[in-house]
Amino acid sequence: MTISDETLREQVSRAWRRAAGEDHSSFDSVWQSAQQRHAALRRRYRRFASVAAVAAVIVIGLNLQTAEEEATYIEIADLLDSTYWSAPSDVLLPDREFDIYRDMPVLFESTEPAGGALL
Amino acid sequence: MRDSDALENNPHVSRSALEAIHGQVYGWALSRCDFDHATAEDLMQQAYVELLSGSARFDNKATLKTFVFGVVQNLARSRFRRVSTRLRLVRQYRQESITDAVEAIEPVIDDGLWRAVRALPARQRDIIELVFCRDLTIEQAASVMGVSTGTGRVHYDRAKKALRSRLQDWAEQ
Repeated sequence: MTISDETLREQVSRAWRRAAGEDHSSFDSVWQSAQQRHAALRRRYRRFASVAAVAAVIVIGLNLQTAEEEATYIEIADLLDSTYWSAPSDVLLPDREFDIYRDMPVLFESTEPAGGALL
Repeated sequence: MRDSDALENNPHVSRSALEAIHGQVYGWALSRCDFDHATAEDLMQQAYVELLSGSARFDNKATLKTFVFGVVQNLARSRFRRVSTRLRLVRQYRQESITDAVEAIEPVIDDGLWRAVRALPARQRDIIELVFCRDLTIEQAASVMGVSTGTGRVHYDRAKKALRSRLQDWAEQ
């Protein structure tokens, strides 16, 4: 005896229906819950985006504040007391740049004494 | 084509179309979680959220039914992968047995055919359910399962052969 595809399909389908039972969530209730979950998800994303935006504004604001740093000058007394010194800001660098090709030969050829030693 | 009740983030999907296939998709979700109705409902909600948000976007390439079945299948896979990872972690830290928590919620049915179906390998069982109970073609069922049509056909033929021989055995007894 060979069981046809149709018979097999019918029997398996019936067994499956029995296993699943009659209990069946209605579309409306599932859909409504899904919509609520979706709305909650969107609210959460929106809250996260606004927090991120506020954080970005704060970080940018703080960065702008540090850029407007005031130039501080070096105290001679501090400089003499210490063997270590670092420039507090780039604004203290001289405007005129040293030209090695024009300025150095003058220095090397100098015979002027400075503090008992030749330069 | 855009239905009047089409979803905002998924213009090719309408609420009425989803309602029409709800029963079948629910059945599929149910068998994905060993016939636990609460988990199946949660899985369905999650699938609808994916469609509402546009995370799962239907582009009209397949039928809507195949697409939604695929969404449910992927969600079930990732959910149970997560659950098994958590259980593995719990097992690492707790010495006591937690077999009660992982016991499958098998429906208690004294049905020989059902037992034969449950005894099939997972892929054979899936394709038999999709083709016999959810009225999909073998091509559609293979696409839901994420295998090639040829592989789907092989699983389908083997499952039918196994079920037939089991039924014949019972008939002879």
